[in-house]
Order: sequence, then C-alpha cells, then structure tokens
Amino acid sequence: MTSDAWYEEQRRLTPDNLETITFPLTRWGRHGYEEEPVRAFLAEVQAEMLRLVNERASLWQEVQRLRRRVLGKENGNDAVLFGKDDAHVHAVRILSSAQRTADRYVADAQAYSGRLTEEARSRRDEIMIQAHQHADLLLEEARTKARAAAVAAIDGDSLAPQTDHERRAARAEIAYLRTFTEVYRKHLKIYTEDVLRTIEDWEARERSEAREVPDG
Amino acid sequence: MDIARLKSSFARVAMHGDEVPLHFYSDLVLKHPETRQLFPVSMQAQRAHLVEALVTIVSSVDRVEDLAAFLRDLGRGHRKFGALAEHYAAVGDSLLATFAYFCGEAWDTELEADWRDAYALIAEVMTAAAREDEQQHPAFWTGTVVGQEHRAFDVSVLTVRTDPTLHYVPGQSVAVEVPSRPRLWRYYSMANAPRPDGIVEFHIRLIDGGAVSMALAGKAVVGTQLRLGPAVGVLQLDTTLTKDILMVAGSTGLAPLRAMLDQLGGMRQPPPVHLFFGARTADGLYDLPGLEKLSATQSWLTVVPVVAAGPSPGETGLLPDVVSRYSGWAQHEAYLAGPTEMVQDSAARLAAAGMPAASIHVEDFGWSEP
Repeated sequence: MTSDAWYEEQRRLTPDNLETITFPLTRWGRHGYEEEPVRAFLAEVQAEMLRLVNERASLWQEVQRLRRRVLGKENGNDAVLFGKDDAHVHAVRILSSAQRTADRYVADAQAYSGRLTEEARSRRDEIMIQAHQHADLLLEEARTKARAAAVAAIDGDSLAPQTDHERRAARAEIAYLRTFTEVYRKHLKIYTEDVLRTIEDWEARERSEAREVPDG
Repeated sequence: MDIARLKSSFARVAMHGDEVPLHFYSDLVLKHPETRQLFPVSMQAQRAHLVEALVTIVSSVDRVEDLAAFLRDLGRGHRKFGALAEHYAAVGDSLLATFAYFCGEAWDTELEADWRDAYALIAEVMTAAAREDEQQHPAFWTGTVVGQEHRAFDVSVLTVRTDPTLHYVPGQSVAVEVPSRPRLWRYYSMANAPRPDGIVEFHIRLIDGGAVSMALAGKAVVGTQLRLGPAVGVLQLDTTLTKDILMVAGSTGLAPLRAMLDQLGGMRQPPPVHLFFGARTADGLYDLPGLEKLSATQSWLTVVPVVAAGPSPGETGLLPDVVSRYSGWAQHEAYLAGPTEMVQDSAARLAAAGMPAASIHVEDFGWSEP
C-alpha cells in the first residue's frame, strides 16, 4: 500500500470535474441534449457536491476533536471542550474555507474571460463568413455586368458600327465599362479592408475588456 | 527509518485527498504569514503540484537515484519562486503538523521522528541543489518585451531581451511570469537559437481563459518586464547524427522547432529537413511566409503547410494523417511539438511505420500551466 490511495482519491469525481467537464457535440442531423439545461443541472450538482464535501470535511474534523477529547479524558487530563490544538485547527479550517472561496472566484473569473474570447472567436468567424459572402456577391454582380458588357461589345461588333459617331460612342462605352470595373474593384477592396479593421478593433476591445476581469 | 511505516501512514493521509494540501497551506500561512506572498491568489493548481510532488517522492523512495534527481530539479526549480533556505524549515513543520492531523491516533513520537528525518533529507537535497545552482545562475532572468507582432487572430510573436543573457539549447523552454499575473508561471519555448545580444522570441497563442497567455497576447505587454525561469526541456537536436530530419509542428508547437531550424541554418552542412507545419485553418499558419522565405534560400529545408479543414496552401487533413501519407520516414530522426494529442498520435504512427522509439523526440506541453 503506497500512494495508490492518493491516486484513487484523485480519480474520484469532484465538484471541479463537474464544473469543467465538456461533452463532444453530436454530429449534424443527430439528436443531442440541449446544452444550457445540461449545464444548469451540472452547476446545481456541482454546488450540492461542494456542500457535501465541505460538510464531510467539517464532520471529520469534529470527529477528530471529539476523539482527542475522549483520549484526553482517558489519559486523565482535565477534559475541556476545546483541546489545546483546537483553536489552531479551527483557524486552519477558517483559512482553508477562505482559500476555497478565493479559488472559486479566480476560477469563475477565468471561466468568464474564457467565454469572452470564445465568443470573440465565433463572432470573428461570423463576420468573416459574412464578408466572404458579400465579396462573392459583389464579384458575381461585377461578373454579370462584365459578361453583359462583353455580349454588348460582340453584338456591337457584329453590327459593325457604321459611322465615326457610332464608333466613338462604342469607344466611350468601353472606356466607361473599364472605369466601372476599376471603381468596383476599389470599392470591393475598401470594403474588405474596412471589415478587417472592424474585426481588429473588436478584437482589441474584447481583449482590453478581458484584461479588466480581476484575478480574484 | 521505517520506510514501510512511512508509506502506510502516507497512504492513510492520502485518503483525505484535497483536504490535505488545503490544511497544509493554511497551517503554513497561519504560522508564517510572510510565505503567503510566494503563492498565487488561487491555490488550486498549487495544491495539485504539492500532491504530485509528494506522490512522486513517496513512490520513488526505493529508487534513490531517481528520487535524488527529482529533488535536485525541484530544489533548483523553486529558486525562481523566491523559496529561501529558511522556508524549508517552515514547510517541514507544517507538513508534519498536517500529517499528524490526518493520521489521527496512529501518529506517535516514533512516526513523527521518522517523518522529521525523511523531510530533513528531502530538504537537504533540495537546498543543496539550490545552493549549487546559485553559484552559476540567477534565481530568474528579466525579460523585457521589446516587440510584439500579431501574426494571426490568436497568435503573436514576442521579442524579448533577456538580462542577464539567457543560455539555452534550441528546443528548450522557460517558465514565464507576467507582472500582471503574479506567481502564475507558464512554459514557453524559445523560437530562435541563442543570440549574442540575448534576444529571444516567443510564439504566444491566446488560450481562452488562459491567465498568462491572455496577458501576453494583450498590447499592454510591450515594455513590461517578464520573469523567466531557467531553460528546461529535453527536446533538442542530436547534432551528432547526420540522418535526414522530419519535423512536425502543430500551431505554436512550431516555436522549439523554429529554434532548431535556426541552429541547423548555422551549421556547415545541415541534413535535409522536412517540416510539416499544421493548423486548424489557413489563418493559423502564422509563420508560413517566414518559413517559405527560409526554404527558398536554404535548399536543405522543405516546408509542407497542413490545414485541418478548408482551403489550404498545401496539404489538407490532420497532421498525423498527412505525415503518414508520405512514406520512408523510418530512417529519419523525428522532432514533434504541438498539442499533446497531435504529438502522441504522430509519434504512434511513426513508431508503427518502423521508426525506432529513440529516434522520435517529443516536446509535450501537457505539463505546462495555463
């Protein structure tokens, strides 16, 4: 019998396990539990378990105290309600419970900041997807216009502009289309850059907010 | 000293789980309030460390060599936390008080004397190693952040000037403490070979909720002074070999391998290196431009970018799968770094493909704190 007992102890379910446990997501199209109610229930179980663990600890300590008292009596000492070490043990208990509270605050703060960055990540993915979709749309539109322009140009060729006036008009039309393409390309570029900047700002803001979350 | 009795009393104490370290630290802080400032606000991880160390000590008590090596490392490692010789006596007292408390009526003067002797031995080995280390190294190095470059949504590269100059072997890492997160240490690998000016680079990936990584990823980190522990880690290039090299890097696991590339680049005739650099999406290949520039001028280096899903500038799939698509690795020397699961899978696949275990070098970040 060595440290096996400790390993056994470490393997037991603790309130911390319940707080941090995650489950794999179901695949698309399959049924799974809705996340929120499961989490809420786990939080309840965790709180209850924590209460039980604390209760057990204080009961065990009470047993120890009483045992010492009985032993003291057996040894002929004048048994008092509090043994000479009891005050110190009591102080240790108070400090331990304060430490547990501090641990919980830090864990909560860390979980909170974790959620913030997680949200930032998914928000960013959403924005990126939207930007891609919008860019695709703009491109498609530009392509349609270009195709129409090409068709018009070919049609124009087949009709073979007869007069100088018509030729000049066709040339003007082509120049217009070229400029149009230029402008559209620029427009698209500015839009994309703007989206990227928004993401960066958002990211920076999110980070500074996350930093403000105290350690405990 | 009755080792069997020590062990059985330890097992009895161990039944009380987390109560034991909790009691120990409370006892210590009550008797010596000044020790509280050596620890972080949250003691959750700290308690786990204590239990881990105690279990290691008790379970290796029959292998004196291993135990001594472990204790010497522990003694050296505690210097950066500000542990002083006088703290050892305080810790010993509280440890004994804790054991006495949880042993209940089984505790007697004989057992107490045995534990006192055992602890005296432990403390002696630890403090001796710390004293010896003091002759050669400072307790910690100061690292001034002189540059920060955002490479991807959640990855940045920090440039840090070390004082005094940090000595290390490419592939090693150091524990890092940020001023805004006192007493929380997280391991990071140096991403460059040692330079005369003492400048090192760290690749910082923002971990959701990770106290240290979030502080290091923020803009405010530039100009701050970090504390760095001594260089540790077993991942390093075996320069005696002339075998071809396979490197597999998942995300910021690239850092230690990047330092090795730096080292290889300084060699007269570097062996051919095949580097697989993987990330979840193409965005995550935060160092690809730099790597491609390097491979364009260094004919010995081949870089294969790998993306788990979505558009990829190279291969698509999970790193272990992609590496397995290529064959003929058995004669290579392999260096792997990145997420634990990816490293373990890759190592297993390479071993299955006939690579000897001794040729697979691994850096596992699993032991690193957030």
